[in-house]
Amino acid sequence: MHLIPQSASHWHLLVSIFPSIGLIFVLGFYVTALVTNDEPTKRSCLLLFVILGLLTIPTYLSGDRSMALLSRDPKISQDLMSAHFGWGVTSLALLALTGAAALIELWRSRHAERLSNDALHLVLGLAIVSLILMAITGEIGWEINHHELRLDAAPERTPQAWSHIHIILNHFPTVGFVLALVFYVAGLLMKNTVMTRASLAVFVICAILGVPTYVTGAASMWALTGIPGISRAVINAHRDMALLSLFGLAFTGVAAWIELWRFRHLGRFSSRSLYLVLAFAIITLGVMAETGHRGGQINHPEIRVATEILPTDPKAGWSPAIESLINHVIWFVPWQTVHFFGFSLIFGTALAVSLRVLGFWKSMPFSAVHRILPLGVFGVVMNVFSGMLILFADSARYLNAPTFAPKTAFITIGAIAVLYFSLSERLWTVRAGEEAPMSAKWVAALVLLSWAGVIMGGRLIPYV
Amino acid sequence: MEYGNTAIIFMVIAVVACVLGLTFFAVYCLNKIVDRNAREGGSAREP
Repeated sequence: MHLIPQSASHWHLLVSIFPSIGLIFVLGFYVTALVTNDEPTKRSCLLLFVILGLLTIPTYLSGDRSMALLSRDPKISQDLMSAHFGWGVTSLALLALTGAAALIELWRSRHAERLSNDALHLVLGLAIVSLILMAITGEIGWEINHHELRLDAAPERTPQAWSHIHIILNHFPTVGFVLALVFYVAGLLMKNTVMTRASLAVFVICAILGVPTYVTGAASMWALTGIPGISRAVINAHRDMALLSLFGLAFTGVAAWIELWRFRHLGRFSSRSLYLVLAFAIITLGVMAETGHRGGQINHPEIRVATEILPTDPKAGWSPAIESLINHVIWFVPWQTVHFFGFSLIFGTALAVSLRVLGFWKSMPFSAVHRILPLGVFGVVMNVFSGMLILFADSARYLNAPTFAPKTAFITIGAIAVLYFSLSERLWTVRAGEEAPMSAKWVAALVLLSWAGVIMGGRLIPYV
Repeated sequence: MEYGNTAIIFMVIAVVACVLGLTFFAVYCLNKIVDRNAREGGSAREP
């Protein structure tokens, strides 16, 4: 693995994801800081806006040099590059302005106890507009080098929309992990509960996003099969590492969620568990970095280094071996049975917790039903693991089923929504006989609908 | 390789028992931690 990029294009690919996708995560932490009114988190976010503002310089310089290199390639559209440059300069300028506003506020309030609300809202507004412009810039940027996105879907291939979603989605767990780690370490050093809880929640969200990222990746493999210049052996090397990343994300996400769940009941963290999450997160980030590097090798010939030896055997690696193993009935049927048990656990838990929030069994406080949530979360882990094995058995057929995409979307929505039950302060204080707040009822309905959608989407796969 | 029904049923029971056993054990341990802390000095924040 080449940790130090060797070309301007490689630098641009790496650096540019922080001012764009990184901005989403910093904004998430910033909104949390504003809602909880936590001064240290607000100041940390302002500092990160300053750093993102500074990152506009290497992003611009690497992009400019990359354009000069890519303009020699006849396959690259000059119009797309010009449009990307124009939107890019505008969005980077606005992000630099956001960083400057954050720096001025940090400087102005260095001796004051509180930050000015007007300045904080100005930074928020500038960051949101920068993010919208970044999204447009990024969208044009993907298309410069990914010509396959414009290909029509061949009858035997999965649609290119999967590749498009994968290209966008795969950056979320990686960049999210980097920023969550920054806030997590800061939270540990400063003993700040808001920062620690927020970064634990981001670890969980990244772990959940790992599922659609892996699924869209598997679909992209079929979408790219047979396209000249794209090697199945390189894809398989990426897949092997992606599987390890998924395990790493699962370990970190579950450990982080357990800590959030425990904090709810005990009102404090266990320092041993916090350091365990930190260790999992650092290892997972390393594995994800290698996964990303291998993913970049699939369709970015401009970042390849002459000394780098790419795999050539499409049958080598764990993924083809697991594919062959799981196709034996003696392995497939047990894991499919585990998958059904997992659904029972998830839906049973979601039903009990959601019905209490919706107003059933009011004789129980919310904290009593919160106790059973680990059953549902472990059900999710069981199903992610067994679901991946089942997907390996016949991924092309599953991924081309019309209900598979909605099923994956519902898993993501349902799992993220469950996080609310362990984070909401208002819901936690609902005692026996009390009604849950209206916002919690909407979330409970969303959880039930999502998981019902997952089950229906799954059952319909063989029939539609 | 062909597998008989007995082998498949045995594998289903073995895999499900292991996975569910681990799951319920983990849930039991987590709830035990909460109960123990609640007994040991009122550190639980349950309303």
